[in-house]
Amino acid sequence: MIIFVYDNSFEGLLTAIYEAYYTDIKPRAIVSDEYYEPNLIDNRIYIESDITKSNKVYEAIKKKISQDALRHVYHVFLSELKEAPTVIYKYLLIAFRMGYQVDFLLTNQHVLNMHKISKKVSREKHRMLGLTRFQLIKEDFYYAPIEPDYHIIGLLAPHFANRMADQHWMIHDVKRGAAAVYDKKEWFLTEVDMKLQASVGAEEELYQELWKTYFKSISISERRNPKLQKNFMPTRYWKFLTEKKQS
Amino acid sequence: MEILDKLTILADAAKYDVSCSSSGSSRKNKEGGIGNAAISGICHSWSDDGRCISLLKILLTNYCIYNCAYCVNRSSNDLPRAAFTPDEVAQLTINFYRRNYIEGLFLSSAIMKDPNHTMELLLTTVKLLRNEHRFNGYIHVKAIPGADSRLIYETGKYVDRMSVNIELPSSGGLKLLAPQKKKEEIIKPMSLITRQMKQHKEEKKIFKSSPSFVPAGQSTQLIVGATADHDYQILKLSEGLYNRFQLKRVYYSAYVPIGIHPQLPTLASPPTLREHRLYQADWLLRFYGFQATELLDEVQPNFDTLLDPKCDWALRNMHLFPIEINKAEIEMLLRIPGIGVQSARRIVAARRMAPISYDGLKKIGVVMKRARYFITCQGKYYGEVGLQERLIRQCLISKPILVQNKPEEKQLSLFDVYQLKESIITGEL
Repeated sequence: MIIFVYDNSFEGLLTAIYEAYYTDIKPRAIVSDEYYEPNLIDNRIYIESDITKSNKVYEAIKKKISQDALRHVYHVFLSELKEAPTVIYKYLLIAFRMGYQVDFLLTNQHVLNMHKISKKVSREKHRMLGLTRFQLIKEDFYYAPIEPDYHIIGLLAPHFANRMADQHWMIHDVKRGAAAVYDKKEWFLTEVDMKLQASVGAEEELYQELWKTYFKSISISERRNPKLQKNFMPTRYWKFLTEKKQS
Repeated sequence: MEILDKLTILADAAKYDVSCSSSGSSRKNKEGGIGNAAISGICHSWSDDGRCISLLKILLTNYCIYNCAYCVNRSSNDLPRAAFTPDEVAQLTINFYRRNYIEGLFLSSAIMKDPNHTMELLLTTVKLLRNEHRFNGYIHVKAIPGADSRLIYETGKYVDRMSVNIELPSSGGLKLLAPQKKKEEIIKPMSLITRQMKQHKEEKKIFKSSPSFVPAGQSTQLIVGATADHDYQILKLSEGLYNRFQLKRVYYSAYVPIGIHPQLPTLASPPTLREHRLYQADWLLRFYGFQATELLDEVQPNFDTLLDPKCDWALRNMHLFPIEINKAEIEMLLRIPGIGVQSARRIVAARRMAPISYDGLKKIGVVMKRARYFITCQGKYYGEVGLQERLIRQCLISKPILVQNKPEEKQLSLFDVYQLKESIITGEL
């Protein structure tokens, strides 16, 4: 059995899809080299990233399938799950045959697998639009550390670039050592390995205090329901929530 | 008074207002400005009672000239009072917003001095935010009954949503618990807003650049359990409000016993299950094509505590079932218990490709433990007790989600769930 291994980049994945489509070798799975473990049965073929090939696949998904399909592919890639590349591959095999109608095949297992992961990523993105907390750490510089399950800072950045257009900010994915930075003109992704030790001034402390006060006052004690609260706002996100973290 | 103390008092006083939705507006940020509105709405946190926090929900003041028995801010109630200045509210909003604590502001107020004075202060605050602070995030403001129409109209030009709370679902209740308020005074600002919204929409068709007026629509709130009104009366009222005033939302608020009053019921805990049933029925009115008279009537004026309104309706109309999943129109699919707006649409999309099997339905996301009694899949019926109303009823309530003896203990979450992103797909804005 053949396994395609690629360099963990989006281009690498699309190149692997290209090779699987245009050569006679049909892989059983596509795996990122981050996850690949050699075994006796499988035959590993390493796919070099090729920007021309990956661009072709990118354009083909957009034109021959749909914009939605492209979004699904990108979101599932961002999930960084071990099975994600194979799920994408199996989905695209059907999609290139069916065109945009692939997303109506709601009882097909491969399509369902794809939608399920894609939805998880979109959900977390939407959730983090609300749960990201900025702190003013220098004059006009707002810093937000987060630890999302999936690699979503690139999906969050456009939203905050529109919204917080008149302030400098950085959203820091502490777990992945990556950050989205905005300089009042545009945003870009960069690597940030160090842990930023945020020391905050009096103004920031005041507003954190005010927010915590508000958070307490707005709850109706007769309707207390911590389970429901945790359903919506799982405790793994509390670490960076001003209103919930232990200070 | 310190700003911290004011916030404690005036957030606490605002907490009984249920609405916190920030959806329905797509206001854009402007050059050099801060903020925008997300059409689907965004929840920023969830308080300890499990309710979503989207907006900074505060009263401008809790000094009130009225003495409504059900209200915590009534003039005879002995509690700490405070008032924000418009500038304080603007500063709080902007600084919370910059930290992404909130999606915008929900500003309400008790009636200080008189309705006009109060409305003027609200208007000053929103103008300050929009003009001085260049704030383009979501703003929801209360229209104060009895205030001058010009003030209400002017405010509507700056905000995304306006609301007038009806609170008590009947004139009888109003007379009993809020004798200083009149039904006409509550209805007047509502119809004004509805008229202006229509007019501005027409104008926008001709001139794209013409200003918007309350783009996210208006809403209201009804208190459940403070008066003797039945669910039927409440639901009829909501239906009327949706049809006549094109309201975006009617919120239901389980009455939380506050203080003792001869005219008020004494409840052990807020009637949250009743509130939940009303929300379920409200959704059936707005998205499932039901009418209030189909769900309740004079003979059965209250919802079943053990069955949701849709199951209850289906069991009373067994002659319409079973429905063949692969053939029925979407209007009928929507009436099947266990099938929601999303799964109905998914069924319609999927069956265009191939007939749907029982297993396929599960994958689509239909709740089979309810749906199977009411459907056939490719001609086959899967309910194990046959099409018998009494037996199906037993099956449906044999494992109640809520413990029978203590129905008030658990707050269900349907209403908050819909505020997630999916709301945009199914249209529950």
